[in-house]
Amino acid sequence: MINANLKSTYAADERVLNNRYKQMFVYGMALLLAVFGAFANDYLILIACKMGLLLIAVVGINVLTGYTGLVSLGHAAFVAIGAYSVTIFQNVTAGFIPDPVMIFFAVPFAVFLAAFIGVIVGLPSLRVKGLYLAVATLAANFIVIFLIEQDLFAPWTGGMVGLTTNAPNIFGWILDSKREMFGLIALVGFVTLLMAQNLIRTRIGRAFIAIRDRDYSAEILGISLLKYKLMSFSISAAFCGLSGALFAYFYARILPEQFELDLSLELVAALIVGGMGRTMGPVFGVIIIVMVPEVIKITFGALTGDAAGMAQLRAPLQEIAFGALLVFFLLKEPLGINQIVDRMLRAANRWPFARG
Amino acid sequence: MLKVEDLHLSFGGIKALQGVNFEARAGEITGVIGPNGAGKTSLFNAISGFYTPDKGRVSFEGRDITDLRPDKKAELGLARTFQNIALFRGMTVLDNIKLGGHTRLKTNLWQALWYFGSAQREELELRREIEERVIDFLEIDHIRKYPITMLPYGLQKRVELGRALAMRPKVLLLDEPVAGMNREETADMARFILDVQEQFGTTILLVEHDMHMVMDICSHIVVLNFGQQIASGTPAEVSRNPDVIEAYLGAAA
Amino acid sequence: MGQFAQFAINGLMSGAIYALIAIGIVSVFKATKVVNFAHGYLIMFGAYFYFTFSVVVPGQEWAPAWLASWQPDWLLAAKEGLPMFSPMGAVLDWVANLPRILFGLVGALFANAVVGLIIERTLMRPLMGQSIFAMIMVTVGLISIMSGSAQLIWTADAANVPYIAPNMPIRFELFGTMIFIFGTDLVNMVIALLLFGGIVAFVRFTKGGIAIRATAEDSSTAYSMGISVPKVFSRAWVLASTTGAIAGAILATRNGISPSLGLFGFSVLAIVLMGGLDSYIGVFIAAMSVGVMEAMTQWQLGGDWAEIVPYVAVLVVLIWRPHGLMGQKEVERI
Repeated sequence: MINANLKSTYAADERVLNNRYKQMFVYGMALLLAVFGAFANDYLILIACKMGLLLIAVVGINVLTGYTGLVSLGHAAFVAIGAYSVTIFQNVTAGFIPDPVMIFFAVPFAVFLAAFIGVIVGLPSLRVKGLYLAVATLAANFIVIFLIEQDLFAPWTGGMVGLTTNAPNIFGWILDSKREMFGLIALVGFVTLLMAQNLIRTRIGRAFIAIRDRDYSAEILGISLLKYKLMSFSISAAFCGLSGALFAYFYARILPEQFELDLSLELVAALIVGGMGRTMGPVFGVIIIVMVPEVIKITFGALTGDAAGMAQLRAPLQEIAFGALLVFFLLKEPLGINQIVDRMLRAANRWPFARG
Repeated sequence: MLKVEDLHLSFGGIKALQGVNFEARAGEITGVIGPNGAGKTSLFNAISGFYTPDKGRVSFEGRDITDLRPDKKAELGLARTFQNIALFRGMTVLDNIKLGGHTRLKTNLWQALWYFGSAQREELELRREIEERVIDFLEIDHIRKYPITMLPYGLQKRVELGRALAMRPKVLLLDEPVAGMNREETADMARFILDVQEQFGTTILLVEHDMHMVMDICSHIVVLNFGQQIASGTPAEVSRNPDVIEAYLGAAA
Repeated sequence: MGQFAQFAINGLMSGAIYALIAIGIVSVFKATKVVNFAHGYLIMFGAYFYFTFSVVVPGQEWAPAWLASWQPDWLLAAKEGLPMFSPMGAVLDWVANLPRILFGLVGALFANAVVGLIIERTLMRPLMGQSIFAMIMVTVGLISIMSGSAQLIWTADAANVPYIAPNMPIRFELFGTMIFIFGTDLVNMVIALLLFGGIVAFVRFTKGGIAIRATAEDSSTAYSMGISVPKVFSRAWVLASTTGAIAGAILATRNGISPSLGLFGFSVLAIVLMGGLDSYIGVFIAAMSVGVMEAMTQWQLGGDWAEIVPYVAVLVVLIWRPHGLMGQKEVERI
């Protein structure tokens, strides 16, 4: 904890990027992203969009699991709710709301609906801790997907066939290319991260962390467990809903099977790999979680020369790699990549006086 | 200020408290003593709202607060520390103390997400206040950015006191503030407790085993034994009470 | 009423299988405080092992012929002239399959025990004494590892596996309606109930069981009292993987073998939480009632609604009783 940073006001000390290296890191990344958006090829843009969509949801999971310490294995349900409600909202209100402003009604609707359902699903969290909650959310995930698939609701949800959503239209500017969508996703992703960071440096985020670390002690400080647990649940559901809304705009078709348990696990895995309870954790996490299967795909293709007989081995290998990644980080670096990056930044901050 | 009347509490068949009566008078230090298992911590937990008493009432500034949840009691101005330090181990000293200011802050969710205007002003104001009123006062400026886990036991106790002070409490409940400390640390802590009383006029109720410290700093003492209140009065009165002597030393041979 | 009885009996039979699967989750939890989210995949491994040892191995050229189908002279003689689908025929078919059924069961038991031990040694033991959260998340990671490995190892389409018991239809009358069940389902239920009872008795009355309970109560104290906690941990995992192997074999004959067998574990997880994690009795009641409720839902609303019954049930129970039907509320010391 060497603070080789001279500061003369509390305001300077309370800044997020309170030393030069953090500033350089973040601004450098932002610059890199802008250059990337302008010059990368379509394949890379697609990968980056996947990461961005996942990022927004993982930031949501981070609020719940990383900050508040409540484990959820069912947040894919909220991504589903966001995705489906945007599309259904657009279909239902098509005549009433003009297209150029539709997105400003549809997305907030989706976000609020996800947040509201988040409060309902979060209700068991008031009375049960830890695992019980993980299973309760898991159950909620199964139920939500099941209901979407039912014939009863198929007129709205499309049942097993899914739904298509028009490209978003922002005041007449139609984002019908992946590159334009990348811009939107990157912007929303950045704002989401900023919001999460702001949250934990004010009273609400501190209350979340207090509940995670020692709930009775939080209560004694005047933090209502009821209020803050539900708030945490609804914030995380809202972020996941937002991710889902963009998901619906980004992909040609949404299907119920995209929001099953696999996605929920991917969200949690990305958080653990990246670093729980840290703002940048989700960023590192999604990069790894999206990149590893892609790398496997590319190397596998190169090694086997796309032989037909071997192709069916690829999916299981990717699955194993995903699980192995999660297990590896839990065993070797439970605080995730964020911790590794922190160590490096700290070393840079101390250099040349101390290393490591 | 804080009044406990005829408090009864039991867990299954075990009677933890049987008719405890006392008042912590405004601006004074009241001590609760008793052998192990006398019900001291149970009394604190009942006062701060973790346990619901079977009978009796707890009132604060004349208001009945027996059945309020702990967080509501905190809003009224009741702060406490715990016997086995209950700090938030994932945070720095500064953040822990900031949490003490929770109920006084007004930032809502929307403002918090954007951190603009009033949210930022409020945070900086809080920071200034705890720096001047708590961190400086308790002489912990050198460790403000340290994670809790890096601190030695004695300092952790002091940080916990700091967190309680950041609540600007009217009544402060201290559960064994010097337990496990050496003589020097005990003297330091006793001095801080007296300073709190003197400077902020806080009413203090404390549970302690260290008889010297209790006799030195308390103006009123309540003695519990097996859940029963066996004596109450000034230190001098209590130390002459035959029941107390018997409870502590065993019956005279 | 007759229909009701038929579905109730069906429900009890699947409830018993749920209970058998649940044992694995409860035992591991009791000993290690870890809820094994991958238990369903352990069962899937059991099913695949049963398939391997009862179908694949006997089908090899080097395997003795009697392993694939045992046909002594007296069996052939007895089969002579029997009508199709006669109960006796079913029994004789079963006798002919008996060598590979036994070989399959024993093979599955051993192979799955090894898998359980490997998981415990390589993944759980390094995390001993660390946060429970990490251990649970490791089991979540295991889900992907096991499901991917199964697809890599058993790429061939899974064929039918032999029933564990003679599969003859049994008919009897109850409340004026004909009740119809399969012999193998009945035997499966009996096996499940016996195993369940046996394991509960083991944990309650034997020295090894007391070690498990002591470890559950307070592992560091148990350790210092001379109980080898690591041994208790591996025993619990072996118990879970062997009961899982039997459950897997049974499920393989009932539902066929596929990677989706792993999902079964999640409904059982819901049942276990409903019953209250550390209570065998509560879990048994929950398993039986979910079995019956599923059967009733199937009867009234159709097959697909039955699949969410455990999930709806667990949510309702958790809101009503947060620690499950019979679970112990953990008392927190402040």
